Amino acid sequence: MDGVHDLGGKQGFGPIDVNEVEIPFHADWEGRMWAIAQCARSPDWTIDWWRHVRELIDPVDYLSRPYFDSWAQTHIAAFIDSGEFTLDEILSGQSVNPAVDPVASQEYDDIIAAVGAQADRFDREIEAQPAYQVGDKIFTRQLLPGHHTRLPAYARGKSGVIHAQHGAYVFADTSAQGNEIAQHLYSVVFEAGDLWIEAGNRKDRVFIDLWESYLDPARN
Amino acid sequence: MTDFDSDAVGKIHRHLHSQLPSESALRVKALESLLVEKGLVNSATIDAWVEAYSEEVGPKRGAQVVAKAWTDPEFKSRLMQDAVSAIDELGYLGKATAHLKVVENTATIHNLVVCTLCSCYPFSILGIAPNWYKTAAYRSRAVRDPRGVLQEFEVELDDDIEVRVWDSTAELRYLVLPQQPEATRDFSEAALAKLVTRNSMIGTDRVLSPEPKD
Repeated sequence: MDGVHDLGGKQGFGPIDVNEVEIPFHADWEGRMWAIAQCARSPDWTIDWWRHVRELIDPVDYLSRPYFDSWAQTHIAAFIDSGEFTLDEILSGQSVNPAVDPVASQEYDDIIAAVGAQADRFDREIEAQPAYQVGDKIFTRQLLPGHHTRLPAYARGKSGVIHAQHGAYVFADTSAQGNEIAQHLYSVVFEAGDLWIEAGNRKDRVFIDLWESYLDPARN
Repeated sequence: MTDFDSDAVGKIHRHLHSQLPSESALRVKALESLLVEKGLVNSATIDAWVEAYSEEVGPKRGAQVVAKAWTDPEFKSRLMQDAVSAIDELGYLGKATAHLKVVENTATIHNLVVCTLCSCYPFSILGIAPNWYKTAAYRSRAVRDPRGVLQEFEVELDDDIEVRVWDSTAELRYLVLPQQPEATRDFSEAALAKLVTRNSMIGTDRVLSPEPKD
């Protein structure tokens, strides 16, 4: 979707707070929200659906409220949507059916092991051969999808070159709609001058991981 | 069950926008309390997760990977070929690093990592991302004005150094391998690890000091 989350190249933001204190959490509630997200999720969510739910936050809220606040709203909205609890329950703070057999606590060492066990893989074996080889020139499509996509707006309708083949990965756009379909993923390199009018001959390049559905062969 | 309906979720978000307390801490507290009542989470477990990401799972891990790459050419070779196996040797494989790639800074190349669409980050080796990494300012500007962003971080680049920006749009995550400071060739791995800044592994730092950062 063409939401405000798709920030690459948007102008008017800045400067960056380069003096931010280097600590993991800047408030207790940030740490707790991070932790909740690690251990409570609905089995029917996909990571791409969760990202899409976050993109659907009111655009003014998305840009102005704290980062982990958006995680709280995403988790709450996604839980309501998938039926784990209701709007009334979160607003009242009261469960209509408290658990009789709540989940047991985990120790610190269990958590360190759990961090390791979160190495989720998204690569898949597929029969189809990759349509593009390293060095091939491509042109990105002008998709205007209503749902989730990982083709950023700034890289649509642009010329690039295949930098690497990654193999087949779960396609984010369909995964966000509950369908796991794998297709070939590539690292595609774009010259800054092909993305940004002001870049001129500046010696910069942008590398973006893009699925085959986002690409067409370059028109020579 | 979710039916993956954007409009349904948009409607829920509008209810939450107008009815949830404005303060973030209260929102998170409400969520935790309700999940605990439902038996889906345990508050002691939440404490343990916070503790894990407060110290042990953080940029010290990434710094260890970098220091080992500087001192052990065979490890570096494995890291560049197959970063996932290489960090697994150190026990650091985990959240968001199952598809890790390492990109190396050289005298003529500077790498910078961003996620313009959300805030993807290699958590199991760098821990929690800094706030600036998640801001609209960084996400919007890193791909378009990387040299301007780097200047704000006091990274000065000659025009002939190529900037390579890596936008983490899929499940691959990127770790920058910074250059080893010249004066540190005889340093031990442990001493070198103390020189590696978190920002140098994201790409918003370049010339590392031979003096420990603490």
